[in-house]
Amino acid sequence: MEQSGTSTRLQAAVQDLASGVVSALRGGGHTRAVLPAWTDGEAGDLALAAVRVLGADAMLPSLLLGVPPDPAEVAVFRKAVEAHPPRADAAPTVRWSHWGMARTLRRIDPSFSSGPPDEPGTGWLDEAGWQSLTHQLAVLAPLALPGEDCAVSRAAVRRPVDVARGFVRAVRRRDWRQAAGAGRWLTLLPGVPGTLGLESGLDFVELMGGQDPQVVLHVQAARLTRTGARV
Amino acid sequence: MRPDEKVTEELTGIQSTDIEAALDPAETDGVYRDSRECAALAIVAGGGAALLSPPTPRPKKG
Repeated sequence: MEQSGTSTRLQAAVQDLASGVVSALRGGGHTRAVLPAWTDGEAGDLALAAVRVLGADAMLPSLLLGVPPDPAEVAVFRKAVEAHPPRADAAPTVRWSHWGMARTLRRIDPSFSSGPPDEPGTGWLDEAGWQSLTHQLAVLAPLALPGEDCAVSRAAVRRPVDVARGFVRAVRRRDWRQAAGAGRWLTLLPGVPGTLGLESGLDFVELMGGQDPQVVLHVQAARLTRTGARV
Repeated sequence: MRPDEKVTEELTGIQSTDIEAALDPAETDGVYRDSRECAALAIVAGGGAALLSPPTPRPKKG
């Protein structure tokens, strides 16, 4: 499908942001200022939109590495949350993404006093076949955080074999981003078949899809989860 | 749409629909693996037995 120029610019900004997150994860949190320091003007609006699209993963180094977040970055993250709320008729993934950002914001910004929003529903996930389930979970991979519970994670926990099948399917389809997102979820799920070879599979996904920073981001998150990182 | 959202969109061209499309993407078209790549996967993946099982049937055309 042909993308508009705006959409292309947004995707490029998201990729840049994801690259910064990957660098911070690889650097053990020593890399500072993943998020842009300014949010004024056209570039700032684009940056805020990119943060909104990357979702809670924009603050992943702070969450997984336990590094105190830079106040300026927290301010940008908060601005993205507040500037781009989901519309009432938004798709479930859009609403869940925003919910995940608000959850992260409450964790990293004590001054964010907004009460916890109600979780969006998961009826569409409960009714999804294993292929669609895996696709949707991969899109919502920023919710796959160790020690964090929500209705989406509970839906995933109920279907580890389906997600494993979806991971294999994604690898065979060369949908590396979906494979990486599904693999990130699988590192959190009990009951994943040992024959899946998840760890080797994730290595392969990174090898084949590593030119996409969002693929690498999910693989890095999965590795940190496997090594015991907790939010 | 709030008035400030409209102003932002006019200035930047970024529309809420662009953001929502990025957050709710359709599944990409699959490109299936061939047996040579599966052999390479065998070397890389080692114990990834499930990854090496027979390929998923391709959808039939027509």
